[in-house]
Amino acid sequence: MSRNRLKTHTGAAIDFTFNGRAYQGIAGDTLASALLANGVDVVGRSFKYARPRGIFGHGAEEPNGIIQLGSGAGTIPNLKATQVELYQGLEASSVNGWPSVNFDVMGIIGAFGRLMPPGFYYKTFMYPKKLWMTYEHFIRKAAGLGATPVEADPDRYDKLHQHCDVLVVGAGPTGLVAAREAARTGARVIIADEQSEFGGSLLASKQTIDGLQAPAWVAGLVAELRAYSNVQLLPRSTVFGYYDHNFLTILERCTDHLGLTSEYAVRQRMHRVRATQVVLATGAFERPLVFAHNDIPGVMLASAVSTYVNRYGVAPGNKLVLFTTNDNAYQSALDWHHSGREVVAVIDSRSNPSGAIVAVVKALGIEVIDGHGLIEAQGNKRVKRALIAPINQAGTEVTGAVRPLNCDLIACSGGWSPAVHLSSHTGAKPIWDESIVGFRPGDSKQQERSAGACRGTFDLSGCLAEGARAGADAAKLSGQGEGNIQFSACTVEEYQEQPQQALFLVPHSKSTSRAPSQFVDFQLDVSASAIELAVREGFESVEHVKRYTALGFGTDQGKLGNINGMAILANALDQSIAETGTTIFRPSYTPTTFGAIAGRDVNDLFDPERYTAMHRWHVEKGAEFENVGQWKRPWYFPLKGEALQDAVNREGLAVRKSVGILDATTLGKIDIQGPDAAEFITRIYTNSYLKLAPGKCRYGVMLKEDGMIFDDGVCACLGDNHYLMFTTTGGAAGVLAWLELWQQTEWPELQVYFTSVTDHWTTATVTGPNARKVIAKVCSDIDLSNDAFGFMDWRDGTVAGVKARIFRISFTGELSYEVNVPAHYGRHIWEALIAAGEEFNITPYGTETMHVLRAEKGFIIVGQDTDGSMTPADMNMDWVVGKNKTFSFIGERSLQRSDSLRENRKQLVGLKTLQGKDVLPEGAQVVFDAKQSIPMSMQGHVTSSYYSANLGHSIALAVVKGGHSRLGQIVHCPLADGRTIAAEIVSSVFYDPKGERQHV
Amino acid sequence: MSNSIKRESPLQYFHGWFNKSSAPESLFNDQIDCDLVIKEAPLSAHLNLRGDAEDSEFCAAVTAVLDVPVPKVPGTYHRNGNTSIYWLGPSEWLILEVGGDGAVIEATLRASLKGHISVVDVSGGQTCINLRGAGAATVLKKSSVYDFEGWNDAQSAYGRVVQTTFAKASAAVSNRPDGSYDLVIRRSFADYLAQWLLDAGGEFGCRIESS
Repeated sequence: MSRNRLKTHTGAAIDFTFNGRAYQGIAGDTLASALLANGVDVVGRSFKYARPRGIFGHGAEEPNGIIQLGSGAGTIPNLKATQVELYQGLEASSVNGWPSVNFDVMGIIGAFGRLMPPGFYYKTFMYPKKLWMTYEHFIRKAAGLGATPVEADPDRYDKLHQHCDVLVVGAGPTGLVAAREAARTGARVIIADEQSEFGGSLLASKQTIDGLQAPAWVAGLVAELRAYSNVQLLPRSTVFGYYDHNFLTILERCTDHLGLTSEYAVRQRMHRVRATQVVLATGAFERPLVFAHNDIPGVMLASAVSTYVNRYGVAPGNKLVLFTTNDNAYQSALDWHHSGREVVAVIDSRSNPSGAIVAVVKALGIEVIDGHGLIEAQGNKRVKRALIAPINQAGTEVTGAVRPLNCDLIACSGGWSPAVHLSSHTGAKPIWDESIVGFRPGDSKQQERSAGACRGTFDLSGCLAEGARAGADAAKLSGQGEGNIQFSACTVEEYQEQPQQALFLVPHSKSTSRAPSQFVDFQLDVSASAIELAVREGFESVEHVKRYTALGFGTDQGKLGNINGMAILANALDQSIAETGTTIFRPSYTPTTFGAIAGRDVNDLFDPERYTAMHRWHVEKGAEFENVGQWKRPWYFPLKGEALQDAVNREGLAVRKSVGILDATTLGKIDIQGPDAAEFITRIYTNSYLKLAPGKCRYGVMLKEDGMIFDDGVCACLGDNHYLMFTTTGGAAGVLAWLELWQQTEWPELQVYFTSVTDHWTTATVTGPNARKVIAKVCSDIDLSNDAFGFMDWRDGTVAGVKARIFRISFTGELSYEVNVPAHYGRHIWEALIAAGEEFNITPYGTETMHVLRAEKGFIIVGQDTDGSMTPADMNMDWVVGKNKTFSFIGERSLQRSDSLRENRKQLVGLKTLQGKDVLPEGAQVVFDAKQSIPMSMQGHVTSSYYSANLGHSIALAVVKGGHSRLGQIVHCPLADGRTIAAEIVSSVFYDPKGERQHV
Repeated sequence: MSNSIKRESPLQYFHGWFNKSSAPESLFNDQIDCDLVIKEAPLSAHLNLRGDAEDSEFCAAVTAVLDVPVPKVPGTYHRNGNTSIYWLGPSEWLILEVGGDGAVIEATLRASLKGHISVVDVSGGQTCINLRGAGAATVLKKSSVYDFEGWNDAQSAYGRVVQTTFAKASAAVSNRPDGSYDLVIRRSFADYLAQWLLDAGGEFGCRIESS
């Protein structure tokens, strides 16, 4: 049995290590309670002064017990020991303390703490700037911010999108009754609580509700909620963000309590909740008292002492001094007394406290010293004594002699601060309320209400009443129930409390600046004197003081220290707390794992991969793939031992000499129907389709309003009022949206419907001099002769037994047949064409060869040779712009802008390197004078560049200023490696300039 | 010849794929249940229909051909036997006949409909998969922001359908009287979605069936 474990509390033993030493806890422990049970006083070192620190709280507010869990890939930094459930084999270490918590070199520096005032880092490490990296490394190491794992996260995370009528945040007494009232109406309810068990403060309470001990009452209510099919209970689930439109995020820790990594299950799950109504029942944090050396291990919150005693059966010391400003904390003296250990005294800052519980404590023979302050704790790694002194009623001055009390545990309570964080996330500004000595939630900005302690209602019966009211109201506003409370009020025994005292800084016999450090923010070592110094240095806004002193910057987000800090600031500024205001809380409420935010959208599922019906054939043939949008397209089909260029040379020559086959399925395809289809298309493209007859195709370019090319492709007339538009692979979705936009918003009078058929059709392009012979072998019901089925015609027919549509469109400049079949037949048709072409050595080719072949022909690729600033004229494609269209087309007017017409625009040309083996890098800059000194005059850039095996030299497309009038000139491309490649400006059509080969 | 014509459904290659994690139920908050079966319907007729919902002649003609009323309430569908008509928009529907021939339906509709209409056979471009089992609802929650549970209160005179994002793709999701869900998905995203669903359904034990 560990030395601080109460004999009344038993459970299965759990072994764990902390900073390399082995300990034993019991089932139900947190790491904090287990460490306290084992008498571990020092759990870390403070951020700036490296002072030894011990466990201070018992939940999300814990500032000191910041630990690193585990090691290796799954290690997790900066967890709070109070929130880590103990499991067999747990390994933890302090994040602070270098080289160890018990011997800390920074502790020596800490002895010179007065040399590190607020703003220390700003003041000290500002100059010289180049040394900042060095400083930062040292500061980080010294401060001990925990270590992030260097390996990939082995854990699994996922997300659930949830919807509910009522989301109840917090399953303490308030939240539980709110959930019960809402559940009864039939509303869909989610109730979430960050602890492993529901019950909140009741888990450590000795009160009775409806005649039951509090934990038993909780168990009964939880069982009741479980029985509702419309209620979802989420323990170990922190609501960490509250966003617009009542969208809230919850982090559920599914397996953290079982071990470091979980190979088979989800470690953490993020619930993304759209709630119609929200009940915030997030409770309150006890406020520490700011006295000298209040950070020595052995100083704790009064509620933490009660929690460890009552819930975990751990008495973290022997001789307790309780220091309080209120009646509520007297309960801790009772709990300690009943655990069988000594209460040395209760120090009450108030004079003549007269509450009922005070009398109960006195009746047990416990000394109550009123009108006193505990002005200083003494000890090194553990409290040894408390110095107490009489203080004036205002709590601003020590008025008499100081005397010591020997003790090893100090519990303190300065009242309670409502947890207004989530309310604050919505933009509601917290409002100071003198009557509760705390901030209440501001007016609701969302469909939410606060109830219970987070609204400043601290008595149990009040919380239960408010919770019931909130639950019924929320349900009604979500459309469920009548808003009446359906369960009878609970009967609760509790002491009537007398008013508390507002005491934010306990006076010392020395002035604040001379007294030993009185800590406000433990995690970042911000003391009362530091806040006062910040004011003396001219800081007035709470937001500025926060940033200057780092108050509230730690991972506890100032849950303990903020109120005291603002009150001390207000006092120093000689203004009220209400005038000073508070900082705004933002998500996340507690640190949130990035993995949970990413969820399953990682690795193979990070982005969809779109496949064509022939994808598996390509894979089987060893194709290398290229991403084109989300599509995976075959890039090239290497034979054994072939590199990219070898394969591309072979594939390209096969197309030019015999026949090749390309999977062209990914091109966007839009079916267009309606009486005004031709008119509509003619307004979209630069050229006219009004006279395009069924059976015919036409190439078109479409512009944005600014006259710049944004997509191109072929459009076919399928029949009366029926067209098929091809788009680029990447542009498909954008073009469909573009068509819908213009039809719906600008030309609703045009009767036309658009339907995407990209996925419906599979396209196999057979191209090359032998293409007709291949098609003829598998298609007998179409007259394939050039006279009957010419270039830019399409025909319906049967290919390899399947109804097909064949287009004579060519992107290679060769005789081409694009065979389209419904995608279920994709692989069949592909394999049939491959078989038919075998005698001609039909060669599958990929996108790289496709690029080379089209570049040989000077065919542009929108998005590669254009960049959104190119007109058709720039691309030397004026021929595609209709000059006599009765109705304008999109972009026409912009083509007449002076800038569109100016000379010296970048224009598409071909570049032929003087040394044919040199292949220009794409993106290379073009200059006219290779000898010009830097900065050189950039005259254009290379947009496409390849080696053409067919031509025996490299080819490039480029945009060059005034390029169309510079044919024959020599330009230079200076490269990053220092070389300069000279090239001649030539026509962008390198091969078959008259276009005869595709017409055969 | 036709005997040798190979037809491949989008999920054909996933037939029999299976995923089951060994997560003990206690790890989750009441969310683990039993299985999830993802069953792809046989190759079917899928047609996109456009027309004027206010045009009673149009609606009557569609119903005469398909023997299914044209749904006019947003987000609903009607089904009769193997044929369903899903509302996709104020002037847009999806016709789905399980095992049907899209070209035949297109021709019949074209012969019956007049005026400004559009009928497009998209049978090759999509597939219908059914999600059944206790894990189905949770897998939908993992995949889409839509509130499918909200359908539980809906009238039973018609089924419900929604076109929505599904993981990082899209789907038309509809409910079935037996409590299962149908998803109409695009062929090119089918591999991604199959892997997504196997992954998401792993905690329930999940398999894919394709005929």
